[in-house]
Amino acid sequence: MSCEVLVLYFAKSAELADVRSEHISVAQRTTSEQLWEEIVSRHPRLAALRNHVLLAVRQEYIAIGDQLLLLQPGDEVAIIPPISGG
Amino acid sequence: MNEGTEEDKDIVKVTPEKLSAEEVSQMVVSPCCGAVSLFIGTTRNNFEGKNVLRLEYEAYVPMAEIEIKKICAEIRQKWPSVKHTAVYHRLGLVPVTEASVILAVSSPHRGESLEAVKYSINALKARVPIWKKEIYGEEEYSWKENKECFWVKQDKGSSLKNRQESSTDFSEK
Repeated sequence: MSCEVLVLYFAKSAELADVRSEHISVAQRTTSEQLWEEIVSRHPRLAALRNHVLLAVRQEYIAIGDQLLLLQPGDEVAIIPPISGG
Repeated sequence: MNEGTEEDKDIVKVTPEKLSAEEVSQMVVSPCCGAVSLFIGTTRNNFEGKNVLRLEYEAYVPMAEIEIKKICAEIRQKWPSVKHTAVYHRLGLVPVTEASVILAVSSPHRGESLEAVKYSINALKARVPIWKKEIYGEEEYSWKENKECFWVKQDKGSSLKNRQESSTDFSEK
């Protein structure tokens, strides 16, 4: 089963992907690693951020790894490069 | 306002508007408090010898607000006498010398609010999704990375302690 989620790109990831948000179709049951790879396959320049980036799924931080995600249609997935607030 | 019945407040604002220290400190004053502690982060005109023309901030606004509110909740656990907290972060272009962030905490006595304000700026730098671009010239800029950012591997050294503290805080949530 696949579902459509909203992917948000910030800071350096928005520059590399050359987009700030888009809807993509992904597997509902997926690991965070597979989800990241799916996003990188659309925007290969994002590969440069590997080991520096986190995802946020439904506005909660998720490390890229073997954690299983159960995505729902309309879920928000964000690409979070290293932060620099303050 | 009735002293003693006033509700504790956590005021969070992530905004493109210019920040005012006076306004933020007014948000936390309370008749039951003898202390307001304030931290103002301002933009600097240099980085490693380079002249910084301007800084631009962006945020994942709804998640930034959630993460800041988690920090406020942690402050109330650690320092129960804290009365009000306010966290204002500016977005967009911030000219050099203007405030990018202002934090204010009130408490009956100064010790708690001073400690809480330090904790909150360190936690904000470690885990609130906000980004800063330093612009040095027409084609030259850099996306900054806080040394406190909890998931970025750092060289061993001065920042290690901060990182361990922030990782612990994160896993406690």
